[in-house]
Amino acid sequence: MKKIIYLIVFSIAALVLLGGLRSSKVESDFDLEAFAELPVQVGGRIKPLDSVARNTLLILSGRQKVVTDEGLTLSPIEWFIDLTMRPEVADTYPIFKIEFPDDLGLVGLAKQGQRYYSFNELLPFSEELRRLYAEINPAPELRSPYEKQIADINNGLMRYHRVMHSLHPVGGAERLDRLVDEYQSYLATIQPGMVELRKQQAGEEFDAALLKRFITFADDYLKLSTTAYLRVVPPPPPVELLEDWKNIGLELLDVMKDDPLSPYVTSYASLTMAYRSGDAEQFNREVRELRERFIADFPGDISRVHYERVFNGLQPFYISMQLYVLIFLAVCISWLRWPKELAKAAFWVLVMAFLIHTFGLLSRMYIQGRPPVTNLYSSAVFVGWGAVLLGILIEKFFKNGIGAAMASLVGFCTLIIAHHLAMTGDTLEMMRAVLDSNFWLATHVVIITFGYSAIFLAGALAILFVLLGVFSSRFNKDTARSLSAMVYGIICFGTLFSLVGTILGGIWADQSWGRFWGWDPKENGALMIVIMGAIYLHARWGGICKDRGLMALAIWGNIITAWSWFGTNMLPVGLHSYGRMDSAYAWLIGFVLVQLVLTATALLPWRFWRSEFGQANNRKEKKRSLIAAEDAEA
Amino acid sequence: MKPLFQFFSSLKLTVVLLSFSLILIFFGTLDQVQYGIWHTQELYFESFLVVWTFPEHAPLGQHLHWIRIPMPGGYLLGGMLLINLLAAHFTRFKMSWMKCGIFLIHSGLILLLISELMTDILAVESQMPVDEGGTSNYSQGFRENELVFIDRSHPEHDSVHTIPASLLKPGKRIDVPNTPLSIRTVRYHGNAEIGRATSGSPAESIATRGAAVRMGIIVNPKPETYSEDEINTVAAFVEVFNGEDSQGIWLVSNVMDERFPPQMVDNGNRSYEIALRFTRYYYPFEIALIDFKHEKYPGTEVPFNFSSEVKVTHQDSTKNQKALIYMNHPLRYEGLTFFQASFANQDKTSIFQVVRNPGWLLPYLSVLLMGLGMCAQFGMHFFKFLGKQRR
Repeated sequence: MKKIIYLIVFSIAALVLLGGLRSSKVESDFDLEAFAELPVQVGGRIKPLDSVARNTLLILSGRQKVVTDEGLTLSPIEWFIDLTMRPEVADTYPIFKIEFPDDLGLVGLAKQGQRYYSFNELLPFSEELRRLYAEINPAPELRSPYEKQIADINNGLMRYHRVMHSLHPVGGAERLDRLVDEYQSYLATIQPGMVELRKQQAGEEFDAALLKRFITFADDYLKLSTTAYLRVVPPPPPVELLEDWKNIGLELLDVMKDDPLSPYVTSYASLTMAYRSGDAEQFNREVRELRERFIADFPGDISRVHYERVFNGLQPFYISMQLYVLIFLAVCISWLRWPKELAKAAFWVLVMAFLIHTFGLLSRMYIQGRPPVTNLYSSAVFVGWGAVLLGILIEKFFKNGIGAAMASLVGFCTLIIAHHLAMTGDTLEMMRAVLDSNFWLATHVVIITFGYSAIFLAGALAILFVLLGVFSSRFNKDTARSLSAMVYGIICFGTLFSLVGTILGGIWADQSWGRFWGWDPKENGALMIVIMGAIYLHARWGGICKDRGLMALAIWGNIITAWSWFGTNMLPVGLHSYGRMDSAYAWLIGFVLVQLVLTATALLPWRFWRSEFGQANNRKEKKRSLIAAEDAEA
Repeated sequence: MKPLFQFFSSLKLTVVLLSFSLILIFFGTLDQVQYGIWHTQELYFESFLVVWTFPEHAPLGQHLHWIRIPMPGGYLLGGMLLINLLAAHFTRFKMSWMKCGIFLIHSGLILLLISELMTDILAVESQMPVDEGGTSNYSQGFRENELVFIDRSHPEHDSVHTIPASLLKPGKRIDVPNTPLSIRTVRYHGNAEIGRATSGSPAESIATRGAAVRMGIIVNPKPETYSEDEINTVAAFVEVFNGEDSQGIWLVSNVMDERFPPQMVDNGNRSYEIALRFTRYYYPFEIALIDFKHEKYPGTEVPFNFSSEVKVTHQDSTKNQKALIYMNHPLRYEGLTFFQASFANQDKTSIFQVVRNPGWLLPYLSVLLMGLGMCAQFGMHFFKFLGKQRR
């Protein structure tokens, strides 16, 4: 029996792993993996096209795949290549996510039960949408959900259009199939065109047809230079670190200034033609050439870009998220049957999930060249990681599955939060100047965030204590004592880290702003966590609160930490407001309400506690009151 | 006496005080939306009592605006915590190795509270804008103002006689230091709109001398702003006396700066320029901005670095030095900290924040104490716990 239990748990875990690995493979005659790795400069960083494809899809669809009307599933890069090279096909893919299409008031758009719409479906309403967009509140943070939806669709359409124009000018099939010829005839027109232009300006006789052709090119590329979204053309080597790359339109325009046309431009044109004609051999040759040119120009960047593409495909956080669910379920079942075996299996799966989580964290650090926490998204990933680490330590000591269950719960929740934070686009963005200090990011920020992990884990353990104590008849004194010890230990940890982190933050502030403390919202939030910890510890040491009260305090820690983490960012003030967000209010309020209900549950009189532990306390209390009554009588 | 001592040294009091601090900090964070950081700091953390009012502009504000919550302010709570801590150490604590961690943490905390108090009272913040190729020997406050009488008769230097604007209470007579002049404030506005009288507007002005009369300037009072990116336009009508003779009433304001023709007060043998301006702090050295750089990440508007290359020329030439001031790397010089705060004028002007904080080293010391204490305290607990587990 024992072996079968292990076998079942581990094979489910293996299935999750394999599922994650398999979904990253793309089957095609075209070498799409090499294409996905072509470089582009976005947000001050060189990254693979794959990242752009994924982020764009995330923003438009809220997910990293496209499901066509025929039921085919496309990977982000497959979608991206169609978008740029076969726009007529891409326009039919349903990728614009509209949560409430009926609310838009666009007659004929909404289809029953459909949340994703294609460009072609939206096209008839573009005028109407633009008109609605002009009417909504110009300040994004003041928009209603309806207005937000209008804004999202409009911005989405704009982004779609601009990304489409990233690799070459876009037009009908006859243009896309002859891009190389177009560039050649453009290059051939420049010289004589300039001569005719000068003649015209000097008032001399000129060749009107030739000039017109030249000006048509120039106009078109000028427009392209403002539309094309991606900077895919690196400057000729040697390239300096802070040099701007150009978009396709700008590069084509600059040829008029006697710059040679970058080979990247022509390569993308040939790639497009090869892809359109279905010539995989030609396509793969071109991609290889492009890639080799990039390697030669940027020998220091290729391995990182390659790694980023691989990392994107693996989606380690997604895998560990699924494993956390598995662990939680396994432990819950273990409290009913096979406690030893399931708890043990859960522990080892937890270790595995933790290693995968760690791998993701380290990968991001390598790609970004930064300590793990640089923005709100990465803080969420790190909070989960820290909680799981602490959970493993607890499990090592107590071996009863409780640590594993709560750690996996916190891990799962924070990764879900991270997943939603990622919807806004690139999560590996550059650091604003004032934050540009690896030393402080590695110390202050990491330690503070680890403090969040600890307080959340302690809060989760306290919630478990309350729920089991009130509802489960099997919850006894020993379990209560060990849970209580866990909460205490973790809060000690959390207070220590929060205090040290807060103080380090003060030192950083003194170093960069000349003041140790400025009562800025984020600083105050951190201080509140420290004080919360101090309250818990003093209440415990002084015997002011007993089990129930201490658990209520630990649950309050959740509220304070959530406020410090997210609430302070919602306030429109402060030097720290780098992770600003306009939604998520409702979530925060909901979370706080749930915690308040749980606090109230914790404070229920003992007679409502169904557990063995609660009943024992109830009897004790009764006895005490009887003795007190007798004493009074005597 | 004993019960009182017991009350002040009890752990219960600690928990209560800490809980109040939690509440104070929470509301002191919320109110920053309305009052900005600086004013909230005064209201909540540098006070003994504060009343929170449900903000009118928050959701449901019209209905809940009547809600008011009084709470003890920062000075009261800090002071009480200090007393509580000291009393506890005198009564309950026996010095022992097991307690050394707690003792260290608490002494660090005491030091931190004291240093915060010192900062509140002693620290001065101001700004110094310097143009590329230019120099400056003073910095300017951005909230406090001063009334100045400048005597420019000396060929080599000006003498400046100042009165802080906080003393300009209507009706009060004040001597201008080191001059035969004195002033009486007729009206004072903490914030106002200043403009020229047009044919339609009531040309009500009580000024009898200076620019206000010549240019027909009028003053419309408005509520003070606490926003981080707005300034208060302070305006005052000041009557100037030479001995006992009134010289007339002048309008002065901190927006009537160098762009306006100077307003002169003449007492017969000397003439003074009268002006209201942001409080200036003069230094015995000059800062020259050689070059300001504002770099961005390629292809974006995200700033990558701001840096200012400066040269400091001190009256005592042994203290001259060059420095590069950039993000996270301020210049500490003569008890002052200069850090890169902002820029203006198409990246041609660099603005430094200048901070004088005599207690800046105290937090470092307290950090050291608390860190050591925490490690000792929790370390002992942890090893004790490990020991128990092993058994």
